[in-house]
Amino acid sequence: MKRRFVTTSIGAAALGALLLVPLQGCTDLAEVPSSAITPSTFFNNAAEVVAGLAGVYAQLRSTTDNNDYYSLSEVTTDEMVVPTRGQDWYDNGTWLELHGQTWSPTSPGTASFQTTAWNTAMAGVARANLLLEALPRVHAVPDSAGIKAEARTLRAFYYYLLMDLFGGVPIATETDIKPRPRSTRAALFNFIESELLAARADLPFTRNAANAGRVTKGAVDAILANMYLNAGVFTKDTAGTGATQIKAAAYNSCAGVLVAGGLDACQAAVNRVDSILASGVYQLADTFAKNFRPDNNLSPENIFVVKFIDADGLGLNFVMRSLHYSQFTPEPWNGFATLAQTYNAFDSLDQRRKIFLVGLQKNLETGVDVCERPGCAKGAPRLNFTTSIANVTRATEAEGARMYKWPIDPKHVAQNNGNDFAYFRLAEMLLIKAEAEGEGATGNPPDAPLTLVRRVRARSVPQPDTLSVVNRAVILRERLFELTGEAKRRQDLIRHGQYTQPWQFKAAGADYRVLMAIPHTKIDANPMLTQNPGYP
Amino acid sequence: MRLVRHVAPALVCGLLWAVALRAQESTGSVTGKVVDATTQQPLANVEVALAGTPHRELSRTDGSFALNGVPAGAYRLRASRIGYGSQIQEVTVTPGGTTTAQVILAPAAAILEPVVVTGYGTQRREAITGSVSTVSAAAANVGVVNNVDQMIQGRAAGVEVIRNNGEPGAGVQVTIRGGSSISNSNDPLYVIDGVPINNVPTEPPSYGIGGTPPLPRNPLNLLNPSDIASITVLKDASATAIYGSRAANGVILIETKKGAAAGGPTIEYDSYLATASPAQHLDLVSAAQYKQVIQGQFAIWRSDSTAGIPDSLRGGLKPYAFGPTSTNWEREVTRTAVTHNHDLSFSGGSEDTRYRASLNYMKDDGVALSSALERIQGRLTATHKAFDNRLRLGVNVTTSRLNNQYLTFENRAGFEGGVFQNAVIFDPTQPVTVTDATGTHYYEVTGSTSVRNPVALAQQVTDVGNTTRTIGNTTAELDLAPGLTGQVTVGVDHAGGGRQIYYPRANPVGAALGGGLARQYDVSNSTVTVQNLLTYRRQVGEVHSFDIVGGYEYSKYTKNLFMAEGKGYFTDAFSFNNLGAAVTRNDSSWSEESRLVSFLSRANYGFKDRFFVTGVLRYDGSTKFAEGHKWALFPGLSASWHVSQEEFMRGGPFSDLRLRLGWGRQGNPGIRPYESLRILEGGTGGTYGWGDVPQTGVTPTRDGNPNLKWEQTDQYNAAVDFGLVNNRLAGSIEYYIKNTSDLILEVPVPQPAPKDTRLENVGKVRNRGVELSLDALLVSRPGLTWRSGLVFAAERNKVLDLGLHTSIRSGIVSGQGQSDQWAERIMPGYALGTFWGPVFTRVSNETQPPVAPDTAPVWRPGQQLFQCTTPSRTCVNGETRAPSADDYRVIGNANPDFSLGFHNQVNWGNFSISFLIRAVVGQDVFNNTALVYSTKGNALQGKNFLAPAGIHEPAIYSSRWIENGSFVRLQNITVEYALDLPILTRSARSARLYVSADNLLLLTGYSGLDPEVSSSNQANTDDVGLVARGIDYLSYPRSRTITGGLRVAF
Repeated sequence: MKRRFVTTSIGAAALGALLLVPLQGCTDLAEVPSSAITPSTFFNNAAEVVAGLAGVYAQLRSTTDNNDYYSLSEVTTDEMVVPTRGQDWYDNGTWLELHGQTWSPTSPGTASFQTTAWNTAMAGVARANLLLEALPRVHAVPDSAGIKAEARTLRAFYYYLLMDLFGGVPIATETDIKPRPRSTRAALFNFIESELLAARADLPFTRNAANAGRVTKGAVDAILANMYLNAGVFTKDTAGTGATQIKAAAYNSCAGVLVAGGLDACQAAVNRVDSILASGVYQLADTFAKNFRPDNNLSPENIFVVKFIDADGLGLNFVMRSLHYSQFTPEPWNGFATLAQTYNAFDSLDQRRKIFLVGLQKNLETGVDVCERPGCAKGAPRLNFTTSIANVTRATEAEGARMYKWPIDPKHVAQNNGNDFAYFRLAEMLLIKAEAEGEGATGNPPDAPLTLVRRVRARSVPQPDTLSVVNRAVILRERLFELTGEAKRRQDLIRHGQYTQPWQFKAAGADYRVLMAIPHTKIDANPMLTQNPGYP
Repeated sequence: MRLVRHVAPALVCGLLWAVALRAQESTGSVTGKVVDATTQQPLANVEVALAGTPHRELSRTDGSFALNGVPAGAYRLRASRIGYGSQIQEVTVTPGGTTTAQVILAPAAAILEPVVVTGYGTQRREAITGSVSTVSAAAANVGVVNNVDQMIQGRAAGVEVIRNNGEPGAGVQVTIRGGSSISNSNDPLYVIDGVPINNVPTEPPSYGIGGTPPLPRNPLNLLNPSDIASITVLKDASATAIYGSRAANGVILIETKKGAAAGGPTIEYDSYLATASPAQHLDLVSAAQYKQVIQGQFAIWRSDSTAGIPDSLRGGLKPYAFGPTSTNWEREVTRTAVTHNHDLSFSGGSEDTRYRASLNYMKDDGVALSSALERIQGRLTATHKAFDNRLRLGVNVTTSRLNNQYLTFENRAGFEGGVFQNAVIFDPTQPVTVTDATGTHYYEVTGSTSVRNPVALAQQVTDVGNTTRTIGNTTAELDLAPGLTGQVTVGVDHAGGGRQIYYPRANPVGAALGGGLARQYDVSNSTVTVQNLLTYRRQVGEVHSFDIVGGYEYSKYTKNLFMAEGKGYFTDAFSFNNLGAAVTRNDSSWSEESRLVSFLSRANYGFKDRFFVTGVLRYDGSTKFAEGHKWALFPGLSASWHVSQEEFMRGGPFSDLRLRLGWGRQGNPGIRPYESLRILEGGTGGTYGWGDVPQTGVTPTRDGNPNLKWEQTDQYNAAVDFGLVNNRLAGSIEYYIKNTSDLILEVPVPQPAPKDTRLENVGKVRNRGVELSLDALLVSRPGLTWRSGLVFAAERNKVLDLGLHTSIRSGIVSGQGQSDQWAERIMPGYALGTFWGPVFTRVSNETQPPVAPDTAPVWRPGQQLFQCTTPSRTCVNGETRAPSADDYRVIGNANPDFSLGFHNQVNWGNFSISFLIRAVVGQDVFNNTALVYSTKGNALQGKNFLAPAGIHEPAIYSSRWIENGSFVRLQNITVEYALDLPILTRSARSARLYVSADNLLLLTGYSGLDPEVSSSNQANTDDVGLVARGIDYLSYPRSRTITGGLRVAF
């Protein structure tokens, strides 16, 4: 009986203990992730700051995705079209919506492209803000000022993309997530300009090989030169015929727009180009193609590039978009094509027309002749790209010329090619100078526009150059020949008042389309945002 | 000192014991026998209890019982047994005397346990105030049943169980009273033997070829259905509130079989063999038709193209593109499969110690090639009573090993796809294999448009997974004082799952992935649960009864992932077994943890067995929510009135009548850990090349929400339970309203922000519904009984509010050319699962002349036309061939008007026949398969299509592809025969043979494979867990199964 009493007591005591013990220790609900980090526990030393900076750069890659800034700048213009091929590339009509400029704030195209472009750039801004907010509390970071300048430059560039597409957007330099009103486009222009000017002081002229791809004074000057040239557009919030409005059907000159230091924007553009030229860092590559090859990191012409590496998730995949299934491994997507009118605009002797694939095709890796249908069945003719597309909603696989400006990288990893993508290269700078001089600015040295344009053409067209007159139209055409596929066309057409003109598979559009619609989901999320004028 | 250590706690507890030890004098006994009212045969396993006392016992094989040591006095003796109405009679016990009681039980309509497991305890069925459904495990375990979810299907009103597809052991979507969450899990909470389990996939995900891979299989496959004793479904909030934060989607309580003492060990053997074949086939174009259509198509293309493109540019529309044979690819990838199952169990023990051990082996071969489920499972359960039944110990251990063989198919897919997509599109004029100079190999189209031989994919790609899961729990229960019981339960659940995948070089998919791809992926999930409960039960006189539970529960969940992958092999010989031989390697790991702490209490008060009131309070804290929002209170209150006990109801038509009312609030914590925090991760998204060397960096992956809190559901429930004709007809009608607020939604945030969306608490959803269950004992005579049961549920769901958002798209449309197409829209005022798209009017047979300045016709013959509202150059006479966003309308509702389950059990002599018929009526199904594969546009790329094709242009999502998905299915029919052989009757206690058929008959007007399609919360980065219902896309075919089985008990 005693033994039983004792064991029972032990049991009861154990039970009591079990009841009580957890009550003391286990009401702590703090959450500490083990496979991820939080900003408050990160950014402690130089290595972590550099990791943060790499993250700000990495967002640049996304801007060239096929549903991002790149496509909005190309597929909405006469440079590119994505026809529906059989069952393929219909995608809820988004590609044709883009090309036909029929988007609305709620349309599928906006929901996809405009939303993605907005998100990518906004995330770039936020990544920069995270780093900039943490930077002051991190000690012992060599070149802290330089890193800060890089982050500010990148943030300014992401804002530049937003300004280009949407006009004014909320400006934030802190990391808290809250509704903010849109700034005016002019205010955003001024913000970007002042940020770039401030950052420029702490950036180097050149980077060594190990740091190639990081921004320099030249990159800042290039962004500024482009902004100044487009100042007649980038400082205005509505389309119309007024002096403070974007002219949809006439040239929007930089002349008369005042920028930092009270300078005329055209003159400021030329000054920036001259600063780049005077730095002596950049020269035109001896051939046009060198700027786009997998080894284009060696091109002395590229000023501000998005770096791509032939590694998983880090490479350029432009070849996938345009090539036919049988021309590359992994199988490309056989989508993007060039309009016949655009292809035909190129002089047949212009080396730059070689960026297009037309006619009988080979596999670009193996050099083997390929057929449209697999295996080249007996009697099957070879794959033969046409220049024209008969019916954009019912194209065959072989219709349309294909852009092949960035050739495949022999060391590609799956679809990842190592070609860099240059947002700004010296050729464009020369064309900017030529155009701004035409608007009344003076260069130093004061090279004539014809000289500048001919300098760009020299490596590509038969000599002696027959071009004898340079005016706005000639410069726009020259920019097409030189910069096709480089995400410049939308900007150029808007500046030249031609963006809403009709072209193949597109009717004339309303003036307000020179600004993109703000996706309605963005206004849902931030009721302080207002829609761009003209959109429902 | 030793003495002091013992004495101190003893003093505390001794006080409590003193009360119990006192009443050991002047006792008597009650003995008697229980018989069946119809057959007059003795009834075993009847629980005989004296109300308000701990005296209770089960009747023996001969129907006899004896309750000893009962203090003298007057008592109410209650006898109850599954399948019978309970019986109460008055008895008086005299000191030292033996009172005899004869009990006659009448069979009732419903086969229901008299005692119901209700969460942290049990309750008498009469005392339940909430909404609780019980499913008879024995009746539901018929045919090929791989998991407990299949047993519930069609047997509990308001519980919707949809298998994802026909894969062996396929995952299920179980929703109780409709899904109320948009992005959170809508799965109920599963509780096995009192321990809540973490019902997450136990195996790593599949790889997926250019689309999303198939959904994971059912984690509950680990549990052998033959081990299940009872299934209880808690539906309304007053019943589930005791599970608080996890209960918003209802609770499924599973009790496993325990050992029984009754006379010596029992050995049971149960085995079946089943064959299965696909129940339906897709209507694909045959090789001959394919050639014919393509040649006809060729002519159409030539006539209506304006460009005069030469024939050489006609792609697949050329005679020389045809192959030499005729192959039905769908038949090539399916088969007749065999399933076999063996269960062996033995149980027994003494009065104090009981045990049951069981072993199960099951192998289910799928009806598609290269898919199978194999289970080897062992279970041991033991209970022990000590100190005059004051201390009760219990141990349950289940260990199960699942070997899964997976087929590479697609859940949703884009341009490329797995086996079923390729079975549809692969050229039917081509052979499965070809023989050439290099030998016999699979026919493949090289450098193709992502078309792969589906048989080769199935046979060459290796995708296997295995899980070892052990669930163990141990319970100690101690009577501390009369009516007061303390209980401690410790539960451990560990599941380690691995998945091995190899895409060989020999297969074009493997080649395109970089010359062979091997992957080893491990996931482990562990849960530790500690529960402490104090239960107090007290009957005060004849009037008041109390049942109070208070407790504390602590659960910790950990998850670890490890993945390693190799690409590029010089041989296929290694398969996935030598990742080191790969050219490039890639690995990743992840670990996460969450904890849940709860304080719970429930009080049930009964007045004269007529009125019952239950109150529940639970206070839960979870790590997953933001600081300051981690804790929440979940109350519940319910009451019932047993009207038929009232004097004025005596002699009326109702043998039983009860009214119930309840209200409760619950939460839903089904989010990932760390969602409230701003998170940075490494990876390619933050990596950038500096000087062509990758500089690794950080990517912000979550914005964090400092205000993230519980999703909260308030539920109101009103019910009437009734019994007529001496309970030969019994049933209940319930009405409920379920309001979910603070919905956790992944919504766009004001930017700049590192991520464009984060989880926020916005919006409201309301579910309302009526449930009816009816059980009837149609025939009850010696030698013949016929029981019928009907469950009916009608539910209406409505989104009331989405915060700032006007609408959210959901339900991605699958297939080539369907990027950025969404089938459904979540909008205030409409149900979740509302289809949104253009309204199809007709296929044109005329040419509509162009509207200036256009020069091309508005439409041509053969094009699809849709309604449009604003006249324009493309919208003529209210019709257009290119619908714009403005032309989108509500074009369907994926929610059924009502669903029915009708089950029957006829026992006739040695035969017993049971069948289950299910019907779901009024729901719309989007036939995504038909949308994508009906178009002859596929022929342009040399691809096959579905037979009734009438269009030769891109597939455009519209009301044309929304079909009525109503169906009636004969889910199962089983005929069982009790063997009465003399040789068996001597040794075996029973031997039964049965034949069973699953999915024998499907009546539906739906044109696709099967209208019953998963209503998944699609776990995909594109539409993060949003509800999408009623989308049918190339599913693994459901099977028709014939099973023969044998059950023997020695």
